[in-house]
Amino acid sequence: MARFDYLEPHSVDEALQMLAEHGDKTRLVAGSTDFLVRWRTGVWRPESVVCMQHVPGLDYINWNPDDGLSIGAMASVQDIELNTEVRSRYPALAAGATSFAGVQVRNLATVAGNICNASPAGDTLPALLAYNAQCRIIGPSGERSLPLDELFVGPGRTALAAGEILTEIRLPPPAPNTGGLYIKHSPRGAMDISAVGVASVVSLNDDGTCASARIALGSVAPTPLRAYGAEGRLVSQTPDAANIAEAARLASQSCNPIADVRSGADYRREMVRVLTERTLQHGVATAGDTPSFDDIRRLAVQTAW
Amino acid sequence: MTTTTQFKVLEQNHPRVDAYEKVTGRATYASDVYLPGMLACKLLPSTRNHARIVSIDTSAAAALPGVRCVITGTDFPDIRFGSGALRDRYVMPREVVNFVGEPVAAVAADDEATAQEAIDLIKVEYEDIPSVVNPLAAMGEGAASVHPDLESYEGYGFTLGHNVSTLLDADRGDVEQAFRDADVVVEDVYRSQGINQGFLEPMACVADVEPSGRLVIYASTQGPYQIRAGLAAVLEIPVSRIRVVPMELGGGFGAKLRLAFEAFPALLAMRTGRPVKLVNTREEVFTMNGPRLPVTNYIRSGVMNDGTIVAREAYTIFDVGAYLGAGPNSGIGHGIGAYRIPNFRLRSYGVYTNKIYVGSYRASGVADMTFAVESHMDHIAHQIGMDAYDLRLHNALREGDVSVSGAVVPSNGLIETLEAIKEKIDWPRQLEDGHGLGLALCEWRSGSGPSTAAISVNDDGTVSLLTGSTDISGSDTSLAAIAAEALGIPMGSVVVAKRDTDMAPYTGQSGGSRVVYSQGTAVQRAAEETVQKLIALAAERLGVPEDALGCEDGRVYVMDNEPQGLTFAQLAAASITSRGGPIIGTASLSSMPYTPVFAAQAAEVKVDRGTGQVKVLRYIQAQDVGVAINPMAVEGQLDGGVVQGIGRALTEDQQFDPDTGAVRNPSFASYLMPLAIDLPESEVVLIKVPAEDGPFGARAVAEPPGFGPPAAIANAVYDAVGVRVKQLPLSGERVLAALNGDYDDIPFDVEALRLAEGII
Amino acid sequence: MKQPLTLNINGESRLLLVEPFYSLLDCLRDDASLTGSKKGCDEGDCGACTVLMDGKPVTSCLVLAHSAHGSEITTIEGLADVDGLSPVQRAFVEHGGLQCGFCIPGLIMSATGFLQDNPDPTEEDVRFAIGGNLCRCTGYSRVIDAIMAAAAEMRASA
Ligand SMILES: Cc1cc2nc3c(=O)[nH]c(=O)nc-3n(C[C@H](O)[C@H](O)[C@H](O)COP(=O)(O)OP(=O)(O)OC[C@H]3O[C@@H](n4cnc5c(N)ncnc54)[C@H](O)[C@@H]3O)c2cc1C
Ligand code: FES
Ligand code: FES
Repeated sequence: MARFDYLEPHSVDEALQMLAEHGDKTRLVAGSTDFLVRWRTGVWRPESVVCMQHVPGLDYINWNPDDGLSIGAMASVQDIELNTEVRSRYPALAAGATSFAGVQVRNLATVAGNICNASPAGDTLPALLAYNAQCRIIGPSGERSLPLDELFVGPGRTALAAGEILTEIRLPPPAPNTGGLYIKHSPRGAMDISAVGVASVVSLNDDGTCASARIALGSVAPTPLRAYGAEGRLVSQTPDAANIAEAARLASQSCNPIADVRSGADYRREMVRVLTERTLQHGVATAGDTPSFDDIRRLAVQTAW
Repeated sequence: MTTTTQFKVLEQNHPRVDAYEKVTGRATYASDVYLPGMLACKLLPSTRNHARIVSIDTSAAAALPGVRCVITGTDFPDIRFGSGALRDRYVMPREVVNFVGEPVAAVAADDEATAQEAIDLIKVEYEDIPSVVNPLAAMGEGAASVHPDLESYEGYGFTLGHNVSTLLDADRGDVEQAFRDADVVVEDVYRSQGINQGFLEPMACVADVEPSGRLVIYASTQGPYQIRAGLAAVLEIPVSRIRVVPMELGGGFGAKLRLAFEAFPALLAMRTGRPVKLVNTREEVFTMNGPRLPVTNYIRSGVMNDGTIVAREAYTIFDVGAYLGAGPNSGIGHGIGAYRIPNFRLRSYGVYTNKIYVGSYRASGVADMTFAVESHMDHIAHQIGMDAYDLRLHNALREGDVSVSGAVVPSNGLIETLEAIKEKIDWPRQLEDGHGLGLALCEWRSGSGPSTAAISVNDDGTVSLLTGSTDISGSDTSLAAIAAEALGIPMGSVVVAKRDTDMAPYTGQSGGSRVVYSQGTAVQRAAEETVQKLIALAAERLGVPEDALGCEDGRVYVMDNEPQGLTFAQLAAASITSRGGPIIGTASLSSMPYTPVFAAQAAEVKVDRGTGQVKVLRYIQAQDVGVAINPMAVEGQLDGGVVQGIGRALTEDQQFDPDTGAVRNPSFASYLMPLAIDLPESEVVLIKVPAEDGPFGARAVAEPPGFGPPAAIANAVYDAVGVRVKQLPLSGERVLAALNGDYDDIPFDVEALRLAEGII
Repeated sequence: MKQPLTLNINGESRLLLVEPFYSLLDCLRDDASLTGSKKGCDEGDCGACTVLMDGKPVTSCLVLAHSAHGSEITTIEGLADVDGLSPVQRAFVEHGGLQCGFCIPGLIMSATGFLQDNPDPTEEDVRFAIGGNLCRCTGYSRVIDAIMAAAAEMRASA
């Protein structure tokens, strides 16, 4: 329990300055949900924190048909869960948000924090990957944009340079006839770290074949990852049971899980197969529909189908 | 069967006497005690599971500004204590640590942050000693000794083998012959996991020294007198120099029955002369205070083709960790379950290992036994092709049978609970694929132990009730209801006194299903004595014989002439100048007769064939409660107990590192207790066959609800998908493995144990 | 070193001296003498420390005290007024939705925040709404009954 000072910027520029000034002795905090737990367990011992809570104008979630969805750095996971555009257009992300902790933590935790924390088990991450999220990053040397896929470099490690801040996450507008789902597999229905999480987003052509399929896996490798091989297996194919099963098999081969208190590695791999199959099936079945949130919520955390 | 007695207070819902304080946040728990000048205490955990302490350097910690005192094991008198007769531990180790997490030093400082900084500055040099973590290995030849000097410990007696702390046995009949005569022999090995009690309030304590030098302890405890005795022993001071004030208790479930860490702030307070507060972190709760440890159960039955069980053999290995923190395990008698089995041999071994010591939790060990016995019952049923319900009914204990302990089984509602369950779940029933039903029968007894109560009549005709038991799960409300019923006054006229060990008469711990049954009997008797004294006084004042008087509705009256009488208030006033003086009724008792408690439970589950995960769709329990003192509270107890059992069945799993024995999942994020969305609606049937003893016929209620779920759910999983998982929890991973046919039985060398006893 | 901090707690403006590394929970308990919010884990896992910030339930152990200025903070002590208990509190009493009570302040705050936005919930909604609150004693059944009853009562009197 090392003491730290509290610094409070009131603009992104001021935050950048503070980060620059204190370097690696300070840490940016947003919702502080990861931060406080890690600080108490002694993993993080900064001399100060730069708290983003009072930087105005970062808690937005905007949608428009041209640019898609943009999520400000201070938008909370609960904001995502409640957002009607997210629920109807990005159901896998809504599922990721609703499967996340309890409402008291969701009200605090930010999506940006979930990304920057870069845990392979981050529940919004597979869906964000499956929706091709782009990150807007501001740092001492200006602004840049990076696909989310390239942001994760290892457990807890991102491609953010020292002093950089993730300011916005953008999801392109979904193609017509798209469906998706995220399923969090864990022993308990809530307040649990996922043992495996799979998000699938499928877009269908008019003839029913797959225009695109994006599958992202959580908790089964050092970072959340896309199952490109499995995705490729589906494109231009009819997403029938056999093809989906084959894609699911490929997905389970593409990951590299570890064993821990939650599950063994083989079981995790098998769960990737099962959940990939289920999320794909659901995505195909609901492509173009607006799923009910009650269904999304139930499916996201269902402990037994 | 229901009671015919007409009650005025009992059998009706009463909000808890402390409800208002609790919903407003005003109830004061130990961690809510803030005293002027109070210091904060922090602890240093051992990082080794078996090591000699070569040195502890506290100089840097002591020199830190704001640090007031640092203590280590050698600051305490050189005295061992224990939870039972066997004194196997120091309050803080002096020379040797026995598990990872064992506190080896404590600091008092001006605030928590400083105390923690000081803790981080303490340097301990350890020298490792060979250790053993697996209890089966610990029983074997050549295993490292957890307590090499065990034989020299006070209270050592019943041990066998260098790591076996206790061996309990129960035998009846000719077991070998009965097995030879049996048509079928069924044999299983079950294993249940480590379980944390999961109380929400971390252990907490504030120690203060009064100007007179007396030690005052504000504690989170189920046993204030036990803390007093424990402190007196380890600090070598008389009990009369200690006052323990039990604060509101935020859950204990057995974990707060005895001395835990109170001695650390106590000694620090004595050294500094200032109040010292210790509030454990959740991680400390998981790594320092004894949970239940894994249990392995070998069980074998000889059965006739008609379903009669003629023989039972059970060998149970209780891992007790570093110390016998829970006393000798009580699971032994439960090896035959709620059944009449004429020939049995039951053994239970408590085996030391270098991991956190075992603690108590809701009828310690019985849930483990019930999982084994009730899973085994279904296995027997399948082996002989009999319905699992019929098998239970056929063998169930009846009135007049002899229990394991030799006591005659008094009248009870066991059969009624079974019948109620059968009807409610509609057994047997064909379900859709992946769905299944399972049963379990649970047995327990009402607890006894020293119980006392005093009732005094107030000026306004209300009464004050004083007992020494701390409130657990609404017991104060139930005791008030018993007093009100016995005195013939409304609940609102009973004031339950807040108490401490100076003020209240000595009482046993609040645990083991004893408060309402034993303590309640004391309250009932104290109330009866109060009534007698009121009647005697009224007789004197009214000039009529005592037997002409009745007592009802807060008034003593002449039975032939009801308007003539005196209210309690009038009698209280009169008592001031009476020969007998102010009216107090008291009662003390120690042991109560054997009163069994039975419950039948049924689960309906769905098994996900893809993930192996099990979802409980319905869970029904029928329990013989005798009389429902406060139905709302009784049902609340049953609701809560079953949910603990469902957690035990499916998600809770205290894991230990196989090499170091360290707790691998010391947080609520990794030790998974059920949440609201994991659970079905509660379905409870109260069966009421009044107990021959116990207040107004009430039986204990708290423990059995938690026993049944592991077996009922395992049996339902078998019914659903045809696989039997013999190891808890029934995780998706285990069930899926079983579905895929790669689930191994648990190895168990029963021959070695039989041989050790000379049984061939 | 402790720094001055002005917080709006239960409708009162409080000037406190608070360590910069303190959580809102520690600040409420140690500095504001409001001990109704409980520390069951200090890790966000149990919900016993739940308070409302601008009407939203949050685990106060995960909030930096100094970041909480400018928000309306409501704790369990702020629900009952001189006229008596809030509908949620009353329902917990009447339905026996409490035993040891340690989880209860958090559960009541979760329920209070939830019902403000969801006056007519299903039972399943309620189960999700208290998905971040652990209770070891009650098994949740009576807690859920109480919340449903409070919702009904609040609708009736709205
Ligand atoms: C009880 C509990 C339950 C949880 N349950 C879940 C769960 O179910 N699923 C899940 O995925 N996670 C869960 N988490 C983890 C955590 O809540 C999430 O990772 C959350 O999204 C983190 O967001 P935050 O705003 O709180 O981040 P903070 O704790 O403030 O920060 C986390 C990290 O990200 C960095 N950071 C934050 N924002 C930015 C930014 N804009 N730019 C650059 N760096 C930034 C910080 O420097 C820090 O290193 C849980 C945590 C707790 C305590
Ligand atoms: S104390 Fe905050 S969630 Fe447990
Ligand atoms: S009432 Fe005890 S934890 Fe909820």
